[in-house]
Amino acid sequence: MSRRLQEGRAQHQRYKEDVEKRGKSFYPYAMFHDTVMSLVVVAVIVALACIWYLTAEVNEDGSSGSGALGVLYEDKADPGTTSFIPRPDWYFYFLFYLLRIFKWPDSVILGTVGIPTIALILLLALPFIDLRRERRLVRRPVAVVAVILTALSMGVLTYKGAVAEEGSEATGLVPEWIERFSIPPGDASEGAEIFSVSGCLNCHQYAGEGVPNLGAPELTEEGNKNRGVQWQIDHLECPSCVTPGSPMPPYEDLGQDNLRKLAAFLEASKGEAAGGEAAG
Amino acid sequence: MAITPPPARRRKRRMDKVMPLVMMPVNWLEERSGLVGGLKYFLFRKVPSDINWFHTLGSATLTAFIVQAVTGVILAMYYKPHPDTAYESIRYITNEATLGWLVRGMHRWGASVFIILIFLHMARVFLFGAYKYPRELNWIVGVMLLPLAMLEGFTGYLLPWDQTAYWATVVGINLNGTGPVVGPFLAQFLRGGDEIGTDTLTRFYAMHMLLLPGAIMGLIGLHLYLVIRLGVSSPPWSKDAAGSEREERPSGDPGLVRPRARGRVAK
Repeated sequence: MSRRLQEGRAQHQRYKEDVEKRGKSFYPYAMFHDTVMSLVVVAVIVALACIWYLTAEVNEDGSSGSGALGVLYEDKADPGTTSFIPRPDWYFYFLFYLLRIFKWPDSVILGTVGIPTIALILLLALPFIDLRRERRLVRRPVAVVAVILTALSMGVLTYKGAVAEEGSEATGLVPEWIERFSIPPGDASEGAEIFSVSGCLNCHQYAGEGVPNLGAPELTEEGNKNRGVQWQIDHLECPSCVTPGSPMPPYEDLGQDNLRKLAAFLEASKGEAAGGEAAG
Repeated sequence: MAITPPPARRRKRRMDKVMPLVMMPVNWLEERSGLVGGLKYFLFRKVPSDINWFHTLGSATLTAFIVQAVTGVILAMYYKPHPDTAYESIRYITNEATLGWLVRGMHRWGASVFIILIFLHMARVFLFGAYKYPRELNWIVGVMLLPLAMLEGFTGYLLPWDQTAYWATVVGINLNGTGPVVGPFLAQFLRGGDEIGTDTLTRFYAMHMLLLPGAIMGLIGLHLYLVIRLGVSSPPWSKDAAGSEREERPSGDPGLVRPRARGRVAK
Protein backbone atom coordinates (compact mmCIF):
# COMPACT_ATOMS: atom_id res chain seq x y z
CA MET A 1 0.00 0.00 0.00
CA SER A 2 1.38 3.36 -0.97
CA ARG A 3 2.40 5.76 1.76
CA ARG A 4 0.12 8.38 0.28
CA LEU A 5 -2.93 6.18 0.67
CA GLN A 6 -1.83 5.20 4.17
CA GLU A 7 -1.51 8.81 5.11
CA GLY A 8 -4.87 9.64 3.55
CA ARG A 9 -6.58 6.92 5.54
CA ALA A 10 -4.88 7.94 8.76
CA GLN A 11 -5.89 11.52 8.19
CA HIS A 12 -9.50 10.67 7.41
CA GLN A 13 -9.52 8.59 10.60
CA ARG A 14 -8.22 11.59 12.54
CA TYR A 15 -10.88 13.72 10.86
CA LYS A 16 -13.67 11.33 11.85
CA GLU A 17 -12.51 11.11 15.45
CA ASP A 18 -12.09 14.84 15.67
CA VAL A 19 -15.53 15.60 14.23
CA GLU A 20 -17.09 13.03 16.56
CA LYS A 21 -15.38 14.64 19.55
CA ARG A 22 -15.53 18.32 18.79
CA GLY A 23 -17.95 18.72 15.89
CA LYS A 24 -21.42 20.11 16.24
CA SER A 25 -24.64 18.55 15.11
CA PHE A 26 -25.91 19.34 11.64
CA TYR A 27 -29.29 20.32 13.07
CA PRO A 28 -29.67 23.09 14.08
CA TYR A 29 -26.22 24.67 13.51
CA ALA A 30 -25.32 23.93 9.90
CA MET A 31 -28.96 23.66 8.93
CA PHE A 32 -29.55 27.23 10.07
CA HIS A 33 -26.92 28.54 7.66
CA ASP A 34 -28.24 26.32 4.88
CA THR A 35 -31.80 27.53 5.43
CA VAL A 36 -30.81 31.20 5.40
CA MET A 37 -28.81 30.67 2.22
CA SER A 38 -31.68 28.79 0.56
CA LEU A 39 -34.09 31.60 1.38
CA VAL A 40 -31.64 34.09 -0.14
CA VAL A 41 -31.49 31.96 -3.31
CA VAL A 42 -35.28 31.80 -3.63
CA ALA A 43 -35.54 35.54 -2.92
CA VAL A 44 -32.99 36.33 -5.64
CA ILE A 45 -34.84 34.14 -8.16
CA VAL A 46 -38.20 35.76 -7.31
CA ALA A 47 -36.60 39.22 -7.53
CA LEU A 48 -35.12 38.46 -10.97
CA ALA A 49 -38.51 37.16 -12.17
CA CYS A 50 -40.23 40.32 -10.90
CA ILE A 51 -37.70 42.70 -12.45
CA TRP A 52 -37.91 40.77 -15.74
CA TYR A 53 -41.70 40.84 -15.90
CA LEU A 54 -42.53 44.18 -14.34
CA THR A 55 -40.07 46.27 -16.37
CA ALA A 56 -41.10 44.73 -19.70
CA GLU A 57 -44.25 46.05 -21.29
CA VAL A 58 -46.67 43.97 -23.31
CA ASN A 59 -47.76 45.87 -26.42
CA GLU A 60 -51.26 46.11 -27.85
CA ASP A 61 -50.59 43.34 -30.36
CA GLY A 62 -49.34 41.02 -27.62
CA SER A 63 -45.67 41.38 -28.53
CA SER A 64 -43.29 42.08 -25.70
CA GLY A 65 -41.19 45.19 -25.17
CA SER A 66 -37.74 44.91 -23.69
CA GLY A 67 -37.35 45.47 -19.95
CA ALA A 68 -34.32 45.64 -17.70
CA LEU A 69 -33.71 41.92 -18.23
CA GLY A 70 -34.79 41.65 -21.86
CA VAL A 71 -38.04 40.71 -23.54
CA LEU A 72 -40.60 38.25 -22.18
CA TYR A 73 -40.61 36.48 -25.56
CA GLU A 74 -39.58 37.26 -29.11
CA ASP A 75 -41.87 36.90 -32.12
CA LYS A 76 -43.02 33.39 -32.88
CA ALA A 77 -40.40 31.15 -34.48
CA ASP A 78 -40.48 31.53 -38.25
CA PRO A 79 -38.18 29.30 -40.30
CA GLY A 80 -38.94 31.45 -43.36
CA THR A 81 -37.89 34.95 -42.31
CA THR A 82 -34.39 34.29 -41.25
CA SER A 83 -32.94 37.71 -40.61
CA PHE A 84 -32.83 36.74 -36.97
CA ILE A 85 -29.62 36.73 -34.97
CA PRO A 86 -29.16 33.44 -33.15
CA ARG A 87 -28.13 33.94 -29.56
CA PRO A 88 -27.78 31.29 -26.89
CA ASP A 89 -28.55 31.96 -23.24
CA TRP A 90 -25.82 34.00 -21.58
CA TYR A 91 -24.10 31.08 -19.86
CA PHE A 92 -23.27 29.64 -23.27
CA TYR A 93 -21.61 32.85 -24.47
CA PHE A 94 -18.15 31.64 -23.47
CA LEU A 95 -18.56 28.52 -25.62
CA PHE A 96 -20.17 30.56 -28.38
CA TYR A 97 -17.30 33.00 -28.49
CA LEU A 98 -14.72 30.25 -28.33
CA LEU A 99 -15.90 29.30 -31.84
CA ARG A 100 -14.85 32.63 -33.25
CA ILE A 101 -11.29 32.20 -32.09
CA PHE A 102 -10.78 29.19 -34.33
CA LYS A 103 -10.77 29.44 -38.10
CA TRP A 104 -13.13 27.36 -40.16
CA PRO A 105 -12.77 24.63 -41.25
CA ASP A 106 -9.44 23.25 -40.04
CA SER A 107 -9.42 24.02 -36.36
CA VAL A 108 -13.05 24.88 -35.55
CA ILE A 109 -13.46 21.41 -34.15
CA LEU A 110 -11.12 22.53 -31.37
CA GLY A 111 -13.71 25.10 -30.34
CA THR A 112 -16.84 22.97 -30.70
CA VAL A 113 -15.58 19.68 -29.33
CA GLY A 114 -11.87 19.90 -28.49
CA ILE A 115 -11.59 22.46 -25.73
CA PRO A 116 -14.86 21.65 -23.91
CA THR A 117 -14.02 17.93 -23.96
CA ILE A 118 -10.48 18.52 -22.73
CA ALA A 119 -11.80 20.78 -19.96
CA LEU A 120 -14.33 18.17 -18.89
CA ILE A 121 -11.75 15.36 -18.89
CA LEU A 122 -9.35 17.50 -16.85
CA LEU A 123 -12.11 18.21 -14.32
CA LEU A 124 -13.06 14.54 -14.06
CA ALA A 125 -9.44 13.50 -13.68
CA LEU A 126 -8.57 16.24 -11.18
CA PRO A 127 -8.58 14.01 -8.05
CA PHE A 128 -6.13 11.67 -9.81
CA ILE A 129 -3.90 14.44 -11.11
CA ASP A 130 -3.58 16.27 -7.79
CA LEU A 131 -2.72 13.51 -5.35
CA ARG A 132 -1.08 15.64 -2.66
CA ARG A 133 -2.75 15.79 0.72
CA GLU A 134 -2.06 19.51 0.99
CA ARG A 135 -5.21 21.63 1.09
CA ARG A 136 -4.00 25.06 2.20
CA LEU A 137 -4.15 27.59 -0.61
CA VAL A 138 -0.82 29.22 0.19
CA ARG A 139 0.79 25.90 -0.55
CA ARG A 140 -1.16 25.20 -3.74
CA PRO A 141 0.01 27.98 -6.08
CA VAL A 142 -0.79 25.98 -9.23
CA ALA A 143 -4.38 25.45 -8.13
CA VAL A 144 -4.83 29.13 -7.27
CA VAL A 145 -3.39 30.28 -10.59
CA ALA A 146 -5.58 27.73 -12.43
CA VAL A 147 -8.74 29.04 -10.75
CA ILE A 148 -7.85 32.67 -11.45
CA LEU A 149 -7.00 31.97 -15.11
CA THR A 150 -10.15 29.88 -15.64
CA ALA A 151 -12.41 32.48 -14.05
CA LEU A 152 -10.70 35.27 -15.97
CA SER A 153 -10.86 33.58 -19.36
CA MET A 154 -14.47 32.50 -18.89
CA GLY A 155 -15.34 36.03 -17.80
CA VAL A 156 -13.61 37.59 -20.79
CA LEU A 157 -15.14 35.08 -23.24
CA THR A 158 -18.61 35.65 -21.77
CA TYR A 159 -18.18 39.41 -22.05
CA LYS A 160 -16.84 39.19 -25.60
CA GLY A 161 -19.70 36.87 -26.51
CA ALA A 162 -22.19 39.33 -25.04
CA VAL A 163 -20.93 42.35 -26.99
CA ALA A 164 -20.00 40.49 -30.20
CA GLU A 165 -21.59 42.02 -33.29
CA GLU A 166 -23.45 39.59 -35.47
CA GLY A 167 -23.97 40.20 -39.17
CA SER A 168 -27.69 40.10 -39.60
CA GLU A 169 -28.79 42.94 -41.80
CA ALA A 170 -26.20 44.16 -44.23
CA THR A 171 -28.36 46.14 -46.67
CA GLY A 172 -25.91 49.02 -46.51
CA LEU A 173 -23.26 46.87 -48.13
CA VAL A 174 -25.28 45.88 -51.18
CA PRO A 175 -24.16 48.80 -53.44
CA GLU A 176 -20.55 48.11 -52.52
CA TRP A 177 -20.91 44.42 -53.38
CA ILE A 178 -22.55 45.24 -56.70
CA GLU A 179 -19.71 47.55 -57.64
CA ARG A 180 -16.84 45.57 -56.24
CA PHE A 181 -17.85 42.23 -57.68
CA SER A 182 -19.47 43.57 -60.86
CA ILE A 183 -22.86 42.05 -60.05
CA PRO A 184 -25.00 42.65 -63.16
CA PRO A 185 -28.18 44.72 -62.71
CA GLY A 186 -31.55 42.99 -62.72
CA ASP A 187 -32.14 39.66 -60.99
CA ALA A 188 -28.62 39.34 -59.59
CA SER A 189 -28.55 42.80 -58.01
CA GLU A 190 -32.03 42.33 -56.56
CA GLY A 191 -30.82 38.99 -55.29
CA ALA A 192 -28.03 40.78 -53.42
CA GLU A 193 -30.69 42.76 -51.58
CA ILE A 194 -32.58 39.58 -50.64
CA PHE A 195 -29.32 37.93 -49.61
CA SER A 196 -28.56 40.78 -47.23
CA VAL A 197 -31.92 40.67 -45.42
CA SER A 198 -32.61 36.93 -45.33
CA GLY A 199 -30.17 36.12 -42.57
CA CYS A 200 -27.69 34.34 -44.86
CA LEU A 201 -24.90 36.18 -43.05
CA ASN A 202 -25.93 34.64 -39.74
CA CYS A 203 -24.10 31.53 -40.85
CA HIS A 204 -22.27 32.36 -44.09
CA GLN A 205 -19.69 35.01 -44.88
CA TYR A 206 -19.65 37.34 -47.85
CA ALA A 207 -16.78 39.71 -48.58
CA GLY A 208 -15.60 39.55 -44.98
CA GLU A 209 -19.07 40.22 -43.51
CA GLY A 210 -21.07 37.69 -41.57
CA VAL A 211 -20.42 35.05 -38.99
CA PRO A 212 -17.40 32.79 -39.41
CA ASN A 213 -16.95 29.40 -37.84
CA LEU A 214 -20.50 28.13 -37.87
CA GLY A 215 -19.59 25.67 -40.55
CA ALA A 216 -21.26 27.38 -43.50
CA PRO A 217 -19.13 28.04 -46.60
CA GLU A 218 -17.92 31.52 -47.54
CA LEU A 219 -19.94 32.65 -50.55
CA THR A 220 -17.96 35.49 -52.16
CA GLU A 221 -16.74 33.20 -54.93
CA GLU A 222 -19.70 30.82 -55.02
CA GLY A 223 -20.24 31.62 -58.73
CA ASN A 224 -16.84 30.20 -59.64
CA LYS A 225 -18.12 26.74 -58.81
CA ASN A 226 -20.40 27.08 -61.86
CA ARG A 227 -23.20 25.02 -60.38
CA GLY A 228 -25.84 26.80 -62.37
CA VAL A 229 -28.90 28.79 -61.35
CA GLN A 230 -31.16 25.73 -61.23
CA TRP A 231 -28.81 23.91 -58.81
CA GLN A 232 -28.80 27.00 -56.56
CA ILE A 233 -32.62 27.18 -56.58
CA ASP A 234 -32.94 23.47 -55.80
CA HIS A 235 -30.39 23.81 -53.05
CA LEU A 236 -32.12 26.81 -51.47
CA GLU A 237 -35.44 24.99 -51.56
CA CYS A 238 -34.10 21.96 -49.77
CA PRO A 239 -30.38 22.01 -48.93
CA SER A 240 -30.29 18.53 -47.42
CA CYS A 241 -31.91 17.02 -50.54
CA VAL A 242 -29.13 18.37 -52.77
CA THR A 243 -26.25 17.99 -50.34
CA PRO A 244 -27.15 15.14 -47.97
CA GLY A 245 -26.37 15.98 -44.37
CA SER A 246 -26.39 19.72 -44.94
CA PRO A 247 -27.53 21.48 -41.76
CA MET A 248 -28.80 24.51 -43.71
CA PRO A 249 -32.53 25.06 -43.23
CA PRO A 250 -34.78 25.12 -46.33
CA TYR A 251 -35.66 28.52 -47.78
CA GLU A 252 -38.55 27.62 -50.09
CA ASP A 253 -40.76 29.99 -48.07
CA LEU A 254 -38.99 32.89 -49.75
CA GLY A 255 -40.95 32.12 -52.93
CA GLN A 256 -39.83 31.11 -56.43
CA ASP A 257 -39.29 34.69 -57.57
CA ASN A 258 -36.96 35.53 -54.70
CA LEU A 259 -35.16 32.21 -54.96
CA ARG A 260 -34.45 32.82 -58.65
CA LYS A 261 -32.97 36.24 -57.84
CA LEU A 262 -30.96 34.86 -54.96
CA ALA A 263 -29.60 32.09 -57.20
CA ALA A 264 -28.69 34.65 -59.89
CA PHE A 265 -26.80 36.68 -57.29
CA LEU A 266 -24.89 33.64 -56.04
CA GLU A 267 -24.00 32.57 -59.57
CA ALA A 268 -22.82 36.13 -60.35
CA SER A 269 -20.60 36.15 -57.27
CA LYS A 270 -17.23 35.33 -58.75
CA GLY A 271 -15.03 37.27 -56.38
CA GLU A 272 -12.81 40.19 -57.20
CA ALA A 273 -10.65 38.46 -59.82
CA ALA A 274 -13.56 38.39 -62.22
CA GLY A 275 -14.54 41.89 -61.23
CA GLY A 276 -11.94 43.49 -63.48
CA GLU A 277 -11.47 47.15 -62.77
CA ALA A 278 -13.29 46.97 -59.42
CA ALA A 279 -10.36 45.03 -58.00
CA GLY A 280 -8.58 48.21 -56.92
CA MET B 1 -61.18 17.93 49.37
CA ALA B 2 -59.92 17.66 45.81
CA ILE B 3 -56.41 18.87 45.32
CA THR B 4 -55.68 20.13 41.84
CA PRO B 5 -52.12 19.22 40.85
CA PRO B 6 -49.75 22.08 40.10
CA PRO B 7 -49.66 23.06 36.39
CA ALA B 8 -46.29 21.47 35.66
CA ARG B 9 -47.43 18.10 36.89
CA ARG B 10 -50.72 18.42 35.04
CA ARG B 11 -48.86 19.13 31.82
CA LYS B 12 -46.66 16.13 32.37
CA ARG B 13 -49.65 13.88 32.91
CA ARG B 14 -51.21 15.15 29.67
CA MET B 15 -47.95 14.55 27.81
CA ASP B 16 -47.88 10.99 29.10
CA LYS B 17 -51.23 10.47 27.44
CA VAL B 18 -50.40 12.20 24.15
CA MET B 19 -46.90 10.93 23.51
CA PRO B 20 -47.78 7.27 22.85
CA LEU B 21 -50.36 8.48 20.31
CA VAL B 22 -47.74 10.57 18.50
CA MET B 23 -45.06 7.93 18.72
CA MET B 24 -47.20 5.05 17.53
CA PRO B 25 -47.08 5.88 13.79
CA VAL B 26 -43.45 6.98 14.11
CA ASN B 27 -42.47 3.69 15.71
CA TRP B 28 -44.59 1.80 13.19
CA LEU B 29 -42.66 3.47 10.36
CA GLU B 30 -39.29 3.00 12.04
CA GLU B 31 -39.87 -0.68 12.72
CA ARG B 32 -40.78 -1.34 9.11
CA SER B 33 -38.33 0.95 7.29
CA GLY B 34 -35.65 2.38 9.52
CA LEU B 35 -36.43 5.76 7.92
CA VAL B 36 -36.84 7.56 11.25
CA GLY B 37 -33.43 6.40 12.39
CA GLY B 38 -32.02 7.49 9.04
CA LEU B 39 -33.55 10.94 9.37
CA LYS B 40 -32.24 11.22 12.94
CA TYR B 41 -28.78 10.24 11.73
CA PHE B 42 -28.99 12.83 8.95
CA LEU B 43 -30.09 15.64 11.28
CA PHE B 44 -27.88 14.91 14.26
CA ARG B 45 -24.73 13.74 12.48
CA LYS B 46 -21.68 15.71 13.52
CA VAL B 47 -20.14 18.26 11.20
CA PRO B 48 -16.82 20.07 11.80
CA SER B 49 -17.29 22.93 14.24
CA ASP B 50 -15.67 25.47 11.92
CA ILE B 51 -17.71 25.03 8.76
CA ASN B 52 -18.80 28.38 7.41
CA TRP B 53 -20.98 30.15 4.85
CA PHE B 54 -18.93 28.79 1.94
CA HIS B 55 -20.26 25.36 2.85
CA THR B 56 -23.83 26.49 2.11
CA LEU B 57 -23.20 26.79 -1.65
CA GLY B 58 -24.07 23.12 -2.16
CA SER B 59 -27.46 23.34 -0.47
CA ALA B 60 -28.03 26.66 -2.26
CA THR B 61 -27.51 24.82 -5.57
CA LEU B 62 -29.93 22.12 -4.43
CA THR B 63 -32.48 24.81 -3.57
CA ALA B 64 -32.15 26.31 -7.04
CA PHE B 65 -32.71 22.84 -8.53
CA ILE B 66 -35.82 22.31 -6.38
CA VAL B 67 -37.15 25.70 -7.57
CA GLN B 68 -36.59 24.53 -11.16
CA ALA B 69 -38.35 21.22 -10.49
CA VAL B 70 -41.40 22.79 -8.82
CA THR B 71 -41.85 25.64 -11.32
CA GLY B 72 -41.15 23.19 -14.15
CA VAL B 73 -43.99 20.89 -13.07
CA ILE B 74 -46.38 23.86 -12.94
CA LEU B 75 -45.25 25.06 -16.39
CA ALA B 76 -45.72 21.55 -17.80
CA MET B 77 -49.40 21.74 -16.79
CA TYR B 78 -49.93 24.66 -19.19
CA TYR B 79 -47.27 24.19 -21.86
CA LYS B 80 -48.22 22.54 -25.15
CA PRO B 81 -45.19 21.12 -27.00
CA HIS B 82 -46.18 21.53 -30.63
CA PRO B 83 -44.94 24.19 -33.08
CA ASP B 84 -48.53 25.39 -33.58
CA THR B 85 -49.30 25.80 -29.88
CA ALA B 86 -46.03 26.11 -27.93
CA TYR B 87 -45.55 29.83 -28.50
CA GLU B 88 -49.22 30.59 -27.78
CA SER B 89 -49.12 28.58 -24.55
CA ILE B 90 -46.02 30.48 -23.45
CA ARG B 91 -47.81 33.78 -24.12
CA TYR B 92 -50.85 32.50 -22.23
CA ILE B 93 -48.68 31.49 -19.25
CA THR B 94 -46.92 34.87 -19.25
CA ASN B 95 -49.88 37.17 -19.82
CA GLU B 96 -53.03 35.43 -18.64
CA ALA B 97 -52.53 32.51 -16.27
CA THR B 98 -52.67 33.58 -12.61
CA LEU B 99 -49.10 34.31 -11.52
CA GLY B 100 -47.98 32.45 -14.63
CA TRP B 101 -45.43 35.19 -15.26
CA LEU B 102 -43.93 34.57 -11.83
CA VAL B 103 -43.66 30.82 -12.34
CA ARG B 104 -42.16 31.23 -15.82
CA GLY B 105 -39.88 34.05 -14.67
CA MET B 106 -38.63 31.97 -11.75
CA HIS B 107 -37.98 29.02 -14.06
CA ARG B 108 -36.21 31.18 -16.63
CA TRP B 109 -34.00 33.05 -14.16
CA GLY B 110 -33.70 30.12 -11.77
CA ALA B 111 -31.80 28.38 -14.58
CA SER B 112 -29.18 31.13 -14.58
CA VAL B 113 -28.94 31.10 -10.79
CA PHE B 114 -28.61 27.30 -10.84
CA ILE B 115 -25.70 27.43 -13.31
CA ILE B 116 -23.93 30.23 -11.41
CA LEU B 117 -24.30 28.36 -8.12
CA ILE B 118 -22.93 25.15 -9.66
CA PHE B 119 -19.81 27.03 -10.76
CA LEU B 120 -19.43 28.75 -7.36
CA HIS B 121 -19.93 25.48 -5.48
CA MET B 122 -17.38 23.83 -7.75
CA ALA B 123 -14.87 26.65 -7.19
CA ARG B 124 -15.36 26.34 -3.42
CA VAL B 125 -14.74 22.58 -3.44
CA PHE B 126 -11.71 23.08 -5.66
CA LEU B 127 -10.18 25.85 -3.54
CA PHE B 128 -10.83 23.95 -0.29
CA GLY B 129 -9.17 20.86 -1.80
CA ALA B 130 -12.29 18.95 -0.82
CA TYR B 131 -12.01 16.65 -3.86
CA LYS B 132 -9.07 14.77 -2.34
CA TYR B 133 -9.14 11.31 -0.77
CA PRO B 134 -11.66 9.96 0.15
CA ARG B 135 -14.00 12.35 -1.70
CA GLU B 136 -12.77 11.77 -5.30
CA LEU B 137 -15.93 9.99 -6.41
CA ASN B 138 -18.15 12.76 -5.12
CA TRP B 139 -16.15 15.30 -7.13
CA ILE B 140 -16.64 13.18 -10.26
CA VAL B 141 -20.40 12.96 -9.65
CA GLY B 142 -20.47 16.74 -9.24
CA VAL B 143 -18.53 17.30 -12.47
CA MET B 144 -21.02 15.05 -14.30
CA LEU B 145 -23.87 17.23 -13.02
CA LEU B 146 -22.40 20.33 -14.69
CA PRO B 147 -22.87 19.31 -18.36
CA LEU B 148 -26.27 17.83 -17.49
CA ALA B 149 -27.35 21.19 -16.08
CA MET B 150 -26.04 22.97 -19.16
CA LEU B 151 -27.92 20.52 -21.40
CA GLU B 152 -31.06 21.40 -19.42
CA GLY B 153 -30.36 25.00 -20.38
CA PHE B 154 -29.86 24.07 -24.03
CA THR B 155 -33.00 21.92 -24.34
CA GLY B 156 -35.14 24.35 -22.36
CA TYR B 157 -34.12 27.26 -24.56
CA LEU B 158 -36.05 25.89 -27.57
CA LEU B 159 -39.34 25.35 -25.76
CA PRO B 160 -40.78 28.92 -25.96
CA TRP B 161 -40.60 28.45 -29.75
CA ASP B 162 -39.86 32.11 -30.42
CA GLN B 163 -37.25 33.43 -32.85
CA THR B 164 -34.34 33.34 -30.36
CA ALA B 165 -35.28 29.83 -29.30
CA TYR B 166 -35.54 28.55 -32.86
CA TRP B 167 -32.42 30.09 -34.33
CA ALA B 168 -30.17 29.49 -31.33
CA THR B 169 -31.19 25.83 -31.52
CA VAL B 170 -30.50 25.72 -35.28
CA VAL B 171 -26.97 26.92 -34.57
CA GLY B 172 -26.58 24.67 -31.52
CA ILE B 173 -27.60 21.56 -33.44
CA ASN B 174 -25.39 22.51 -36.40
CA LEU B 175 -22.46 22.83 -34.02
CA ASN B 176 -23.20 19.34 -32.71
CA GLY B 177 -23.10 18.24 -36.34
CA THR B 178 -19.48 19.35 -36.69
CA GLY B 179 -18.33 16.84 -34.07
CA PRO B 180 -16.17 13.95 -35.23
CA VAL B 181 -17.79 10.58 -36.06
CA VAL B 182 -20.88 10.86 -33.87
CA GLY B 183 -21.51 14.55 -34.64
CA PRO B 184 -23.83 14.13 -37.65
CA PHE B 185 -25.77 11.30 -35.95
CA LEU B 186 -26.16 13.37 -32.82
CA ALA B 187 -27.44 16.32 -34.85
CA GLN B 188 -29.87 14.04 -36.70
CA PHE B 189 -31.06 12.55 -33.41
CA LEU B 190 -31.57 15.94 -31.77
CA ARG B 191 -33.45 17.23 -34.79
CA GLY B 192 -35.56 14.10 -35.04
CA GLY B 193 -35.37 14.38 -38.82
CA ASP B 194 -33.92 16.63 -41.45
CA GLU B 195 -35.25 19.89 -40.13
CA ILE B 196 -36.23 21.47 -36.86
CA GLY B 197 -39.95 20.98 -36.32
CA THR B 198 -42.55 19.04 -34.35
CA ASP B 199 -40.29 16.10 -33.65
CA THR B 200 -37.46 18.33 -32.48
CA LEU B 201 -39.72 20.14 -30.05
CA THR B 202 -41.17 16.99 -28.46
CA ARG B 203 -37.71 15.45 -28.32
CA PHE B 204 -36.27 18.48 -26.53
CA TYR B 205 -39.31 18.55 -24.23
CA ALA B 206 -38.91 14.89 -23.29
CA MET B 207 -35.19 15.35 -22.65
CA HIS B 208 -35.76 18.58 -20.74
CA MET B 209 -38.43 17.25 -18.37
CA LEU B 210 -37.79 13.52 -18.15
CA LEU B 211 -34.36 12.29 -19.19
CA LEU B 212 -32.12 15.08 -17.90
CA PRO B 213 -33.96 15.86 -14.63
CA GLY B 214 -34.11 12.12 -13.92
CA ALA B 215 -30.36 11.81 -14.40
CA ILE B 216 -29.73 14.96 -12.37
CA MET B 217 -31.92 13.77 -9.49
CA GLY B 218 -30.21 10.38 -9.43
CA LEU B 219 -26.76 11.95 -9.36
CA ILE B 220 -27.79 14.52 -6.72
CA GLY B 221 -29.03 11.60 -4.58
CA LEU B 222 -25.66 9.86 -4.92
CA HIS B 223 -23.87 13.18 -4.30
CA LEU B 224 -25.74 13.75 -1.02
CA TYR B 225 -25.34 10.13 0.07
CA LEU B 226 -21.58 10.49 -0.34
CA VAL B 227 -21.55 13.80 1.56
CA ILE B 228 -23.35 12.16 4.49
CA ARG B 229 -21.26 9.00 4.35
CA LEU B 230 -17.87 10.74 4.13
CA GLY B 231 -18.68 13.80 6.22
CA VAL B 232 -18.48 17.48 5.43
CA SER B 233 -14.90 18.56 4.84
CA SER B 234 -13.49 21.11 7.22
CA PRO B 235 -11.97 24.30 5.82
CA PRO B 236 -8.29 23.99 4.90
CA TRP B 237 -7.39 26.54 7.56
CA SER B 238 -9.08 24.51 10.29
CA LYS B 239 -7.23 24.36 13.62
CA ASP B 240 -8.80 21.00 14.43
CA ALA B 241 -7.23 17.72 13.48
CA ALA B 242 -10.04 17.43 10.97
CA GLY B 243 -8.48 20.04 8.80
CA SER B 244 -4.84 20.20 9.72
CA GLU B 245 -2.91 18.71 6.83
CA ARG B 246 0.50 17.27 7.09
CA GLU B 247 3.06 17.41 4.37
CA GLU B 248 3.76 14.14 2.60
CA ARG B 249 6.68 13.19 4.77
CA PRO B 250 7.52 10.23 6.96
CA SER B 251 5.06 10.37 9.83
CA GLY B 252 7.78 9.55 12.34
CA ASP B 253 9.76 12.68 11.56
CA PRO B 254 8.62 15.30 14.06
CA GLY B 255 10.72 18.07 12.57
CA LEU B 256 8.68 18.03 9.43
CA VAL B 257 5.27 18.23 11.02
CA ARG B 258 4.25 21.83 10.82
CA PRO B 259 2.82 23.51 13.90
CA ARG B 260 -0.92 23.79 13.43
CA ALA B 261 -1.19 27.51 13.92
CA ARG B 262 1.08 28.12 10.95
CA GLY B 263 -1.41 26.47 8.64
CA ARG B 264 -4.08 28.98 9.45
CA VAL B 265 -5.03 31.45 6.77
CA ALA B 266 -6.56 34.73 7.81
CA LYS B 267 -10.28 34.75 7.07
